[in-house]
Amino acid sequence: MAFFMRPKRQRQEEESHPFRNKIAELSELPKDVALGMPILTVTGQMELCLENYRGILEYTDSLVRIQTRTGQIRINGQKLQVVYYTNDEMKMTGQITSIEYQH
Amino acid sequence: MLLKIIRYIKGYIRIRITGYSTERFLNACSHKGILMWGLEPVNRAYEMNIETRGFRQLKPIIRKTGTKVVIVGRFGLPFFLHKYRRRKLFFAGAFLCVALVFLMSRYIWNIDIQGNHSYTDDTLLRFLESTEVVNGMRVSEVDCARIVKDIRKEYNDIIWVSASIRGTRLIIQVKENEDSLPAMDETVPEEPAEENGAGKAMDIVADQDCTITRIVPRNGIPMVQEGQEVKAGEILVSGQVPVLDDAGTVTAYQYYEADADIQGRTILEYQDAVDLTYEEKEYINVEKIEYSLKIGDYYLRFGSIENSYDAWEMNGYEKQLCIGENFYLPVTYERRTARPYRSTEKKYSKKELQKILSASFQRYCKDLDKKGVEIIENNVKIYTGSEKAEAKGRLTVLMPVGAPAQSQLSEIPVIEEQEETGE
Repeated sequence: MAFFMRPKRQRQEEESHPFRNKIAELSELPKDVALGMPILTVTGQMELCLENYRGILEYTDSLVRIQTRTGQIRINGQKLQVVYYTNDEMKMTGQITSIEYQH
Repeated sequence: MLLKIIRYIKGYIRIRITGYSTERFLNACSHKGILMWGLEPVNRAYEMNIETRGFRQLKPIIRKTGTKVVIVGRFGLPFFLHKYRRRKLFFAGAFLCVALVFLMSRYIWNIDIQGNHSYTDDTLLRFLESTEVVNGMRVSEVDCARIVKDIRKEYNDIIWVSASIRGTRLIIQVKENEDSLPAMDETVPEEPAEENGAGKAMDIVADQDCTITRIVPRNGIPMVQEGQEVKAGEILVSGQVPVLDDAGTVTAYQYYEADADIQGRTILEYQDAVDLTYEEKEYINVEKIEYSLKIGDYYLRFGSIENSYDAWEMNGYEKQLCIGENFYLPVTYERRTARPYRSTEKKYSKKELQKILSASFQRYCKDLDKKGVEIIENNVKIYTGSEKAEAKGRLTVLMPVGAPAQSQLSEIPVIEEQEETGE
């Protein structure tokens, strides 16, 4: 799985780079475009739409781990199911209990 | 829903992937732009749907990620057609269906007429038929402009026509001139009559002999008085109102449509008769049914109603096949039944006769009542003869009398007067 993660050094660089942040803010571009941040659209506890991600790291019906440019997102829940999975968007349904961010 | 249909038409495959790095497989697929949906973890393996096109690109990914792919099921139209490829008749039928829809859509299947009040659909359809516009004609042969012209030429009181083709329907919208409807004509006030119109002068004449009991004129000069006896044809109210000068001579007439409530007393004869005997049918427990199908001039008969009984009753039912509202096909379905019976002659009892005669007399009285006739005296009696029973008698009634009739003009003083004033 490490294949999909960037080397730690590079990731921290991106995160803590105030310069990039500044430019993004000055250019008035949306953050997801400028910095490649993930967008999560959560409807109640049932539906989750995810954009701007790198790939799935782990997928069971109670845990989905997703790699994004800024880190991992863990989605815990029950009966999780991926409705569709394309290069730029995925959607899952099920009973979502928590969403965690890991760097 | 639309997405589902598209997927069905394109066809898709449900696969199960097992192996060590199945997530890598998923990511590689999405990286290559292969669409996946319905992803489900099934004990240490994944099941998912994948497009047919994407399935062909899977080979290098499988090799790279070291996973195993098993096809669980194939869905969609391409697989369906492949499965039933040997059923030639099915394909022929499907092709025929498409061809028929294509062919049939080039003919008019329904003529829809809207906006007509005084002309019935039937009248207009019959006229259209005479100009060779019929159900079942080719759409390309319909000339809407000509239809419009023809209808306008034929019917003067249709003031606007529009003909259009929508799909296989020919829609004809018409607008009739409502002012020329006869019902509206009557309410037009009679002002022009005063200017020129001797033609408008109408009298009320007696339509039968009677004694006038009440007369309330609204328009015109009453010519009779209450209590006066009149004969049929006599003028009751004149529509010509004389204009008198100081000397009391008539100088002119004003013309009106006479209008009055007139009631007269008159005598009505009443007579009704019933035969003493009647025929009673006793049906024999036999019924013969005949079904037939008429196509054009040809009959296709099933069964027969022919029988050797002396007396029998025939009931028939006929129905012509019709598509839509008014596209009648030359196919008719018929059903005829014959029920033989034995007839016996029976006699009415006195009570029954009385009942029948008095019931019809009651009905007669009710009808009179509806017409506004008041019965004052009634000496109708029932007489029973050897062959017939009769109800006979006279009714003295009060009833509205008078019917409008054209005035016979007394013009001479009018002309003289006009000449004088002219000079």
